[in-house]
Amino acid sequence: MKKLFLKTALYAILILIALEVIVRVFHLAKDNPSRFVDKYKVEKWMPNQEGYSVTGNRRQNFSKFYINKSGYNSYREFTPSKEEVEVALVGDSFIEGFHQNYYNSIGKKIENRVTDIEVYEYGYAGYDLADQLHLISAYKETFDKIDYVVLGLKFENDLFRGEYQVVQDRMHLESPLYKKAREIKLLVYTQNIGILEPLWKLAGKLASFGKKQKLVPEKVVTKEDIEARHLTYIKNFKSLIDKYGYDKERFVFLLDAKITPKLFLDYLHDNNFKYIDMYKPLSASKLPTTLIYDRHWNNHGREIIAELIADYIKQ
Amino acid sequence: MVFNSLDFFIFLFIVFVLYWLLFKKHVKIQNIFLLVVSYIFYGWWDWRFLSLILLSTTVDYFVGIMIDSNTKQSKRKQWLWVSVLFNVGLLGFFKYYNFFVDSWIDMFSMFGYHIKSTWTLKVILPVGISFYTFQTMSYSFDIYYNKLKPTRDFLSFAAFVSFFPQLVAGPIERASNLLSQITNKRTFSYNQSVSGLKLILWGLFKKVVIADSLAPIVDDIFANYSNYPASTLILGVTLFSFQVYGDFSGYSDIAIGTAKLFGIELKSNFKFPNFSRNVAEYWQRWHVSLSTWFRHYVYIPLGGSRVSKLKSVRNIIIIFLVSGFWHGANWTFIAWGAFHALAFIPVFLMGRNTIYKNSVVGENSLFPSLIEIGQVLLTFSIVTFSRIFFRSESITDAFAFIKRILSNFTYEVYNHPMGYRMVDYYILIVLFVLYEYRIRKDERAPFKFKSKIVRFIIYTIVILGMLLFYDSNIDRSFIYFQF
Repeated sequence: MKKLFLKTALYAILILIALEVIVRVFHLAKDNPSRFVDKYKVEKWMPNQEGYSVTGNRRQNFSKFYINKSGYNSYREFTPSKEEVEVALVGDSFIEGFHQNYYNSIGKKIENRVTDIEVYEYGYAGYDLADQLHLISAYKETFDKIDYVVLGLKFENDLFRGEYQVVQDRMHLESPLYKKAREIKLLVYTQNIGILEPLWKLAGKLASFGKKQKLVPEKVVTKEDIEARHLTYIKNFKSLIDKYGYDKERFVFLLDAKITPKLFLDYLHDNNFKYIDMYKPLSASKLPTTLIYDRHWNNHGREIIAELIADYIKQ
Repeated sequence: MVFNSLDFFIFLFIVFVLYWLLFKKHVKIQNIFLLVVSYIFYGWWDWRFLSLILLSTTVDYFVGIMIDSNTKQSKRKQWLWVSVLFNVGLLGFFKYYNFFVDSWIDMFSMFGYHIKSTWTLKVILPVGISFYTFQTMSYSFDIYYNKLKPTRDFLSFAAFVSFFPQLVAGPIERASNLLSQITNKRTFSYNQSVSGLKLILWGLFKKVVIADSLAPIVDDIFANYSNYPASTLILGVTLFSFQVYGDFSGYSDIAIGTAKLFGIELKSNFKFPNFSRNVAEYWQRWHVSLSTWFRHYVYIPLGGSRVSKLKSVRNIIIIFLVSGFWHGANWTFIAWGAFHALAFIPVFLMGRNTIYKNSVVGENSLFPSLIEIGQVLLTFSIVTFSRIFFRSESITDAFAFIKRILSNFTYEVYNHPMGYRMVDYYILIVLFVLYEYRIRKDERAPFKFKSKIVRFIIYTIVILGMLLFYDSNIDRSFIYFQF
């Protein structure tokens, strides 16, 4: 039996090495750029990195990314000036656009539609409104030179907090252990396709084994609860605007009015906050607007968003 | 705890190590351990149904002794009937009761009498009941036909009935093969264990890569058949043929491989049925343990082929109908069985039902002949057509599916329901068929290559295939669990 275990272990190691080589050669796993917190406490990607974003077991979505000197995925550097017309897109992974070649981003699509314009994409996965407004406030000099600022906003996701603080959970991903783990491409690949999920679940179960778990009765979410939550989010919104400032002339929100509560839309309207509604053009599309594997916009979805922003700028 | 889950592999590892390290000294201890772990394995689904296994085990254990202790034929027969009635009764109650009640109600409603369905019961079908009841019955039959002496060792018998690798979906073992191994002490064999691990790997590949990856496509086509043209429906049923084969033969390979790890050899259940040259050969290669069971305990007692042609044809029809009905309480399975009977009878009447018994396609050459290719394609087409009945939700759906193929004979490109590249699946199927052809001579040695390097490359490709086609979002249970 010893021989069986030894040989099985040997084969397993050799196969794992072979698989690691295959995953690297065929680029089946995505590259993870490093992140950092700069001197203004803005979390962003380490400048001058490039790699490939991969989704799906069989590389169904494969695109190159490039992190510019400002720490964002873009084919251009961000050098705003008073003389030129610039647009900044500030938002989460939808703006970040790792799912598409950086030369084919929403910004580039806008530039193709509007002449003599430069579009800067300040997209970073996980950015909420606190991150966005803090970034604009921290780089006030830069943003003051930018003519239009479009802020992506998802009401239910982006208003959890009324004040900016570095998200430590994300920064933990930069710990030496995580960094080392990311170097093993087979591990990244298997994690991404979900095959390791049962293993992590089991590890979680074992870790909590013997510990008394409080049985929390499932709470029924009432209409009042939802209203209270919405009021909290609006309160956070107000707090963020007060703390970091907001230029109602140059700034505009990009949101889906269908999933945004009327209460908030009315608030925006009553207080002269402009917004671009992306629901109508996206829902009117006959072709799918999102990728197969996640809800991010595909090329067609990006075309629609670019068209929408370009039209807004032209107006 | 299904074979393709992490739970199972942890369970298997622990049981394997304990079995050979702590419980290897005495056969009795080995069997007690096997019995306990088998009951744990089964109880993982629903411990309440353990009582059914125990009951079935107890009844057949005593029936076996009673048959053997009686010399009078009529008494022996009476005891055999006790076993048959008990086991078929269990099946009848859990699996067929509602079907019969509903069928009666439907029949009455055809004559204008509408009856409320208050007689149907809300019972769950215990996992594996069709398999273990047949296995215990085979024990009583073998004793009745004097092919076996009953065991007086209840623990060994209980371990035979509940042996976990084959408990829930076969292969249905005959006591003459399995019980005799269980009553003898097993010793660890390196070669047997390695061979078992290889079979487990190959079975997992068939399940994860072939069956599970095709499942969403097949589900989509059969659920929306009224919206698709004939080309898509033909694609759907063809892929279902591969799905069900990958699923069930994959399960069987894992079961046989797992049994090998415990020093036990189970009978082969699948012998590359997709390369059959006629329907008779197909039934010598598909779900062999069930077809053997029906041949031994239904077909031969009815006279088999040693009676007049007319009676033989009757016997063929009976076993195919019963076999169809065994799969499930639905008219679709009966129609499936009837279709196979109709396809089998001409082969039987032409005397070609056993001509391929001891050979495989391309027996003495690298490639099959053109005639063989034609035969294989024709058989595959017939079998695949029958799968329309097997897969459809109801008999009405099955006929509507066929009607749609005939009435809407057009071609359209089919797109995967989740938007994946369909070409990946076409390439996969072609490579799978070519590989199975390469290994067609020995279903128990899927990696039989002389070169260690070639073997290593194949192992790597097989595991890579599992990664490339793994989908965490799909239901990974086995199709034959429902039977």
